[in-house]
Amino acid sequence: MKIKFILYSTLAVLLLAGASCSKSFLEVSPRGEVLESNYYQTPDQVFSAMVAVYNCTEAEAGYGINWYANKLAPLNAAADECWAGGGSSTDMMMYQVWNNYTMTPANAPSSKFWAMDYAGIYRANLLILKLATPVTGLADADRDRYIAECKTLRAYFYFELVRLFKNIPLTTEPISTADMYNVVQAAPEEIYTQIEKDLTEAIPILPSTLATTDNGRVTKGAAEALLGKAILFENNTSRMADAASWLNKVNTSGVYHLLANYKDIFDPGNKFNAESIWEISHSGTAQSQWGPSDFRGNVYCIMIGPRSYAALTDPVHGAPDGDHTYYSGWSFNPIIPAFAAKIHNDPRYKYTVADLDSLVAIGQAAYSGSAGYMNTGLFIQKHAPLLKWKADLGADALNFPNDVIEIRLADTYLMEAEALVRGSGDLVRAKTLLDAVRARVGLPSVPATLDNIYNERMLELATEGHRWFDLVRTGKAATALAFKGFVSGKNEILPIPLEEMNNTKLVQNPNY
Amino acid sequence: MKQTILTLLFIFCSLALSAQGLQVKGVVTSADDGQLLPGVSISVKGTTAGTLTDATGAYTINAPANSTLVFSFVGMKSQEILVKTSTTINVVMQSSTAMMEEVVVVGYGVQKKSVVTGAISTVKASDLIDMPVTRIEDALKGRTSGVTVASSSGVPGADATVNIRGVTSINSASPLYVVDGVPVVGGIDYLNQGDIESIEILKDAASAAIYGTQAAAGVILISTKKGKSGAMQVNYNGYVGTQAPERKLNLLNAKEYSTIMREAYIAAGQKIPADFPTPQSLSAGTDWQSVIFNNNAMIQNHEFNVSGGNDKSTYYASVAYFDQEGIVATDISRYQRTTVRLNSAHKVNKWLNFGNNVSYSHIKSKQGFSTNDYFGGVLASAINLDPITTVTQSDLNPATSPYATHLTSIVRDASGYPYSVSPWVGQEMTNPAAYIQTKLGNYGWSDNIVGNIYMEIQPIKGLTFRSSIGTKLAFWGDYSYNPIYFLSNTNSNLTQNSISRSFNRTLVWTFTNTLSYTRSFNNHNFTFMVGTEARDQSNQIGIGSTKNGIPVTYWDQASMNYSVDASKTSGWGYEDQPYTLASVFGRINYDYQGKYMLTAILRRDGSSRFGSNNVYGYFPSVSVGWVVSQEGFWKANDYVNYLKLRAGYGVNGNDNLSPFQYTSTIGSIGGYTIGGTNYTGYGPTAPANPDLKWEQTSQLNFGFDAKLLKNITAAVEIFKKTTTGMLMYVDIPEYVGASSKPWGNIASMWDKGLEIELGYNNKIGDLNYSIKGNASFTKNEITDIGSNDHLVNATMQSSAYEVSRKVVGQPMNEFYGFKYLGVFQTQTEINAYTKEGVVIQPTAKPGDYKWLDVNNDGIINDLDRTWLGNPNPTFTYGFTLNLEYKGFDLVAFGQGVAGNKIFNELRRLDIPGANYLNSALGRWTGPGTSNSYARLVYGDLTNFGVPSQFYLENGAYFRLKTMQIGYSLPKSLTERISIPKARVYVSGNNLLTLTKYEGFDPEIGGGQGIYGIDRGVYPQARSFMAGLDITF
Repeated sequence: MKIKFILYSTLAVLLLAGASCSKSFLEVSPRGEVLESNYYQTPDQVFSAMVAVYNCTEAEAGYGINWYANKLAPLNAAADECWAGGGSSTDMMMYQVWNNYTMTPANAPSSKFWAMDYAGIYRANLLILKLATPVTGLADADRDRYIAECKTLRAYFYFELVRLFKNIPLTTEPISTADMYNVVQAAPEEIYTQIEKDLTEAIPILPSTLATTDNGRVTKGAAEALLGKAILFENNTSRMADAASWLNKVNTSGVYHLLANYKDIFDPGNKFNAESIWEISHSGTAQSQWGPSDFRGNVYCIMIGPRSYAALTDPVHGAPDGDHTYYSGWSFNPIIPAFAAKIHNDPRYKYTVADLDSLVAIGQAAYSGSAGYMNTGLFIQKHAPLLKWKADLGADALNFPNDVIEIRLADTYLMEAEALVRGSGDLVRAKTLLDAVRARVGLPSVPATLDNIYNERMLELATEGHRWFDLVRTGKAATALAFKGFVSGKNEILPIPLEEMNNTKLVQNPNY
Repeated sequence: MKQTILTLLFIFCSLALSAQGLQVKGVVTSADDGQLLPGVSISVKGTTAGTLTDATGAYTINAPANSTLVFSFVGMKSQEILVKTSTTINVVMQSSTAMMEEVVVVGYGVQKKSVVTGAISTVKASDLIDMPVTRIEDALKGRTSGVTVASSSGVPGADATVNIRGVTSINSASPLYVVDGVPVVGGIDYLNQGDIESIEILKDAASAAIYGTQAAAGVILISTKKGKSGAMQVNYNGYVGTQAPERKLNLLNAKEYSTIMREAYIAAGQKIPADFPTPQSLSAGTDWQSVIFNNNAMIQNHEFNVSGGNDKSTYYASVAYFDQEGIVATDISRYQRTTVRLNSAHKVNKWLNFGNNVSYSHIKSKQGFSTNDYFGGVLASAINLDPITTVTQSDLNPATSPYATHLTSIVRDASGYPYSVSPWVGQEMTNPAAYIQTKLGNYGWSDNIVGNIYMEIQPIKGLTFRSSIGTKLAFWGDYSYNPIYFLSNTNSNLTQNSISRSFNRTLVWTFTNTLSYTRSFNNHNFTFMVGTEARDQSNQIGIGSTKNGIPVTYWDQASMNYSVDASKTSGWGYEDQPYTLASVFGRINYDYQGKYMLTAILRRDGSSRFGSNNVYGYFPSVSVGWVVSQEGFWKANDYVNYLKLRAGYGVNGNDNLSPFQYTSTIGSIGGYTIGGTNYTGYGPTAPANPDLKWEQTSQLNFGFDAKLLKNITAAVEIFKKTTTGMLMYVDIPEYVGASSKPWGNIASMWDKGLEIELGYNNKIGDLNYSIKGNASFTKNEITDIGSNDHLVNATMQSSAYEVSRKVVGQPMNEFYGFKYLGVFQTQTEINAYTKEGVVIQPTAKPGDYKWLDVNNDGIINDLDRTWLGNPNPTFTYGFTLNLEYKGFDLVAFGQGVAGNKIFNELRRLDIPGANYLNSALGRWTGPGTSNSYARLVYGDLTNFGVPSQFYLENGAYFRLKTMQIGYSLPKSLTERISIPKARVYVSGNNLLTLTKYEGFDPEIGGGQGIYGIDRGVYPQARSFMAGLDITF
């Protein structure tokens, strides 16, 4: 009987133990992840959150999973500067269809721009919201600077979206679960109002210059330049003086000056140079590998490298120099010969165009296989994958260190000149600005007419992603891009991504 | 104690004295097969005197006159024989299974088959004996109704998609596997099929409710073999065989390819490249499939097992080795598995026993390429590469590009000739012979130790307490070497080699305690069972390391022991998120006279994966049965000999979601470089959903079991299964900006089905035969997908158009795309295809598809897509035929599906030069040539770049899975050499497949996302094997 008693007691205890300990047994904590409610509580955490906002600017690095992102490839393919290129007429369809203007909501590059820019907006909105609560150890000045950076970046993302899609939703705080499907598009004017508001609020707080360790963060000059540019893009003649005044602040700040050598602007050995106002940074040391990750290197470089390229040493001409020894790439964005002809006699041509056929002709290069689709023998030099910049570690394609300069001084000079001319402002200053850009490359003075300014933009900023926007905003796209099939009244903007129409209240852009 | 021994001694002595009577001798044989039975216990009733039969089944015993001898043997019915004189008594023992009730494993216990009320199918070891299957899932294929098994591919060791009673969830829900009472997570490929005693499939929710939140997709209970008391038995069973692809694709040969490509270039308005060969200059060209396929791939399996024991302890031990080469790119496709098992059970005294079931397996698996993936790998390359390019170059060092420019990195064959690089088909498609060279020596491995120990205490009659701890300790990893190579302009590694290793470990433990009590009185029979279970699955970690630029050239020289600079070494690691489960459950079984029966179950599961608002889920079920044929009013007749009606209802769950989805966590969401330093950015990974809980599946089941016309057994079931609150990513718009989508309990669906199992056995003279067949009809429909209009499944190559959708009112993943009315034969037809006078396809050319304007708005756009077919089979069936004639036996086993479509996405669309199936020869080439296959235009995607009915094919097939002929050596021979059993057999797998499908294999498993989509699936092998099964 005693044995049975012990036995039953043991059983009861075991059963009860199993049943009762379960609650605490089920309370587990995540590993390597912090609950959102426990984050944004130290200066380091706030910094990491801001890094995540900046992440959405580096389109060249493959935001999302292996979509060979970057805005330069599709924008260059859309303009009259380049073909889409690549391996075949169907390689990177989203570039091809912009190149041909056969875009549909299903195949356009829309979703990539859309996703990246809205991710940036959400992250900026969230951090601004979180910073409303004091963070222990974070000085007020630092907190204000983070907020100002978030606003500047938010303005940048909205500026991208409104230019590409025109009709877009506007939110300045995270969208709640309940409201997710009820969002409607705002009028473009509302978007521009928000952009101006954000930038105007940020400018007084942002620093004019940065410590080297802060290179890559936005400055007062960057925000002013973006504000001037945004007002210019609003295309309202009555506001040109406003645009000119903001751009003037940048151009006369004393922080920036034109580099003596045009080529040095794009040199990865010369990052954050005096001409660079807004620079999207990359790194060759991250050892990025293929896989579902974002890359710190610049993938665009390998994409525009000549396909099947091989360097040769010619008995007469010797080996190509370091600026003309490439890493074999995927031959996207070959330069259209007609465009090359327009800039051929300009001193900037050789720094803009990688003339592979000439290198082949003098025995310094060869095609080691079939050339790319729509090969013209002419490639982009400014971001070319030069062998000397290829990283030792990580996947070859993913670790080129080249930065992309979003806004540089020559651009703001030309924009201020344009705004002055269009706003009937100081035409003497307009000419001075235009001439400064030309004089840097040894070109003589020309009258500060709009045509001359636009022509200078084409020459100075070729293949840097500005041309398509310029053609559209100046109304020249229909003519200049007719040979590609541009349809007036439709192709000035991209279709809203097909996926984004699912279950939402969004309205598709006209004629798509 | 001392006293007891003395007493015993005294009794022994007195018995020995009194036993000085008669001498009885004889042999004992089995009634089943006439074999001599060693180890049969013979005792004199009422005494402790006794003996055992020897190895030849003979015995001698002394017994008093008029005493009774008791013959007993495990698994046999005991016999009592009165002895009057010294004599020879030969005894034939009857198998007790015929008398004893067959039992069915039901989860935390067993139940007599006659009183089972749920829908449980059983597959016995005897059905699987000598069947050369590589995985357990494969063994279930076509065996029982309601279970659809589709191999995910023919890759050696590949798993399979198992659906019990149709698709249960939008998620890839696979059944719960419970091996010897312990739920096993992470796959069951560690099991050696020869070790399996029985497999029970809990198909209905009423039966499966006992496994609560893990049971929604059904439960598969596997019992491994146990020892039997009696003499030691040693068994060897093994086979060796050869495998070959069952069929190849019909692709264009070089001449046809050149003809079609030239036509396509011209149609596209492009110049034909000057060096593109003319059809006249070509013959058949390269058959890339023959480069990758092996028509003589080896397969072998060998296993030894030993079993036996006495009335205190029994054991079963086995060691097995399985080795299968892949039929595709054999050098980089092979699966080897070694398993060891020890099961034992011990009886300490009349109230305590304990035991263990432990297995160890080592698996080495080479699979150097992906399958069912159009982004490369040898299968995709063999399908898409042009037949013009030769396998190797004829020069050792060709002066042409790319060979001359990549002298050191070009991949070469054994004689040093470079493998050719196709100038016409590029991107991810590479010469498969060269590709194989770059993946040599890469493999994955795993070590699994899976087992449990248990203890059972029976303090009083009918009451059993059982406590069991089951664990799975697994280690796995990869071994890879990446040489320097040049395969194509977009696939090369030119600067340095690298070597990588990874290592993972997990430990899962499950602690189960049950208390059950059985009581019978006045024909009322009760069993009560209550239990608790806790599981911890929180202990998975992994690390890996890569070294770049080690000083070797070939894979077989590569080693992690080479030192490289620290900057050339990289490493990684992870720890899996914790996951715990705590449960309480109970069950009541009741029957009256075995005539009326009832089972009721309740389980409460708590899961760490559920949201803070829903930590616990309750899963009840009830089922009833009625044996009509036992009723007084039932008149015995020759038509229906037995009839049992069953009905049940139950609720199950599915907690198959990632941890911490209920809350918003901060994770790494992309970084940025500031001041030259690479920073990682952190932010919320997805919005929170504290209401997140399990998916719930409820099921209503009606069925009957019957015996008809004496020889026919029949089981028929109908069911309706409803799944609600299906866990899925909430498809939130991108403008929300979240880094990833949150999980939600969103969708609902139902499955309805009818299942029939029939069996018939009889004998004609010496010929015994039996035939078993099963058939299932299942329908499935989505009834709710929340606020979504539809959910998108896998998209078609190079477009955002999805291949299939989930929509209310349609079956799961119904194919979705464009339909055509035909092919425009002339410009007149194009001009005549109008809507209110406006030409609908103004840019079309003769030979293009005439698309159906579904919404009748006069333009063809994304709104003109419609339903194209169902990827889920609606009818599945299987049959087994057994014949036995004297020593010969034959087993034929076939299985098939119908009612489904397959999306044939074999050709890579964004590679204009990709080869075609030779159905392309039937393309449109001029008025009247074809009204279903549009013209071919180089790089054109308007006709073929969108999902359309063009890509859909009938997925029905019937497959003769196995045909085996065996011969057992006659007793007269085997007895002389003391071998109880010796059987030789030859067997063929996948001998015949009847299908209209054009691809390699109509059997396409894989996850939900790609179910029914063929992107170059690794085909099943046709194999021939010869085997030997011998018992000592």
